[in-house]
Amino acid sequence: MTFFTIIFRGLLRRPVRTGLTLVGISIGIAAVVALVGISRGFEQSWAKGMQARGTDIVVSTMGSGLAPKPFDAAVRDRVAAIPGVSAVCSIFVDLTSIESSSMMIVSSREWGGFSWKNLKLLSGRMPNDAMEPVVVLGQNAAEVLGKKIGDPIQIEARELTVVGIVDGGALVENGSVILSLSLYQDVSGSQNQINVIDVRATPDTSEEDIKKLCAEINKVVTEAKALPAGENVGNSQAYKFISAMSWGTSLLAVIVGVLGVMNTMLMTVFERKQEICILLAIGWKRSRIIRMVLLESALLGFLGGITGVLIGSISVKILETLPAIHGLLEPDLSPRLMTISVAISVIVGVISGLYPAWRSSRLKPSLAMQG
Amino acid sequence: MSNIHASGSCVYELIGLKKEYDEGSVLALRGVDLRIYQGEFVAITGPSGCGKSTLLQMLGALDEPTSGSLSYRGKPLPGHAEGATYRAREIGIIFQAFHLLPTFTAVENVQMPMFEADRPATDRKQRATELLEAVGLEKRLHHFPAKLSGGERQRVAIARSLGNSPSVLLADEPTGNLDSENAHHILDLIVRLHEEHQMTMILITHDPSIAARASRIIHMMDGRVVSDSNPPS
Repeated sequence: MTFFTIIFRGLLRRPVRTGLTLVGISIGIAAVVALVGISRGFEQSWAKGMQARGTDIVVSTMGSGLAPKPFDAAVRDRVAAIPGVSAVCSIFVDLTSIESSSMMIVSSREWGGFSWKNLKLLSGRMPNDAMEPVVVLGQNAAEVLGKKIGDPIQIEARELTVVGIVDGGALVENGSVILSLSLYQDVSGSQNQINVIDVRATPDTSEEDIKKLCAEINKVVTEAKALPAGENVGNSQAYKFISAMSWGTSLLAVIVGVLGVMNTMLMTVFERKQEICILLAIGWKRSRIIRMVLLESALLGFLGGITGVLIGSISVKILETLPAIHGLLEPDLSPRLMTISVAISVIVGVISGLYPAWRSSRLKPSLAMQG
Repeated sequence: MSNIHASGSCVYELIGLKKEYDEGSVLALRGVDLRIYQGEFVAITGPSGCGKSTLLQMLGALDEPTSGSLSYRGKPLPGHAEGATYRAREIGIIFQAFHLLPTFTAVENVQMPMFEADRPATDRKQRATELLEAVGLEKRLHHFPAKLSGGERQRVAIARSLGNSPSVLLADEPTGNLDSENAHHILDLIVRLHEEHQMTMILITHDPSIAARASRIIHMMDGRVVSDSNPPS
């Protein structure tokens, strides 16, 4: 028998109560894993999409909506003229409902721009010109919409035709309906409007110089903001709001977990008052009693963390298969997030055990003689 | 009566020891002067509320006296907060209600005090097994307290009290919760252990027949020592 056996046996003493406490803390940690994983995954998916398009800088107005606000298409030429910029591609990206799907990314791109180049044709063909009334679908979008080559697709009030299925190299690209910018401007009635400019810097530009180039662009462009690719989503108001909501909700769930563990440990100390006094009477130091309570509490947190990570991961995997978001969600279930979640849970356990441990250390060994 | 006699060195010295509760409204000990010597088997007797259990708590550093002096082997006895090392290494305590931990087996209960003696796990288990064998419980090593009889539980508690080879054994009414047959066996065991281990034994009892097995009988009344038969000179 080791000291750990005593800790473990303490938790098994009231298996139902321990189990319910584990469920409580697990739900908190599952919320952290699921909500934070999804919001981080959202950011990473967009970053990967830009990486797949070979974009170094994104010029956009990431406001409070999930899609950027439109601005004048003429900005494109002002950005293209800045030294250090090797290529630009105007984009109008929108999140809208299309037929059976309640939320679909529509990515319309400047005809001939570099953002078309990463699209690998899996079947069918690419559009023949900027105004041909056709679209290509990312492979996930085709699956979600149930479309194949030759099928009609309703966008706004126009019926277009699916002519190709593509692999864009990133989930965001593969979940998009892709068409020519001019065609979409015509279909949506947003002539001369764009909301993103993908910018490529001259080859071998360092990260530091990319930031300097962003500053140069921001001097010239007041309608939108230039940020290194990958940072723009994280800086958007909408993403910050989603992220804050995720952490806020998780924090609430974790606080409930803290209270649950603290209640359990206080009950444990209360119920085992005489046992603790006996241990003090037979020579256990107060520091060992404190360690026992804190380790029990930390173990509760650790087990709750592991269970929470499992529940959170499984929940997210189930969410991914739901028709409404299938192909749009790429949650960040990285080992880092899972480690952080378990660490949070252990810390929660230790913090929850501090007061009960202090209470237990105040007990008098003479109480062992009573009863 | 045990034939072991005091070897001379003073283990406990109590001078004017007082203990009050409830801000002085209860006087449990009203000035006890006493010396207990190495190897003695002392029985402390008296009616309920006479202060004998309070005295045992003071000797075990489970509580602190209100005034007076209490020394162990010539040094002041630490208070209950600092007395863990003393309780772990110098004394063993046997309780009337056994006080075994219900979620641990007999062999695990006996190991409990040994955690403070920094013994490795295998050493602890071996020592606990030997002690349980010595009290005749070699077939009950892995039984939980609920599966043991009262007499067996007290044997486990006695084995536990010997875990760190203490030089003093304090027993609070060790047969108080047992039937007469089991009480007889337990008392025999305690006497045998005292003789084998040459330890100082201090036993609280209100039963004169049990007290008669000791080499010295201290009788208490109203928080004072009223008689001390066969005290060492």
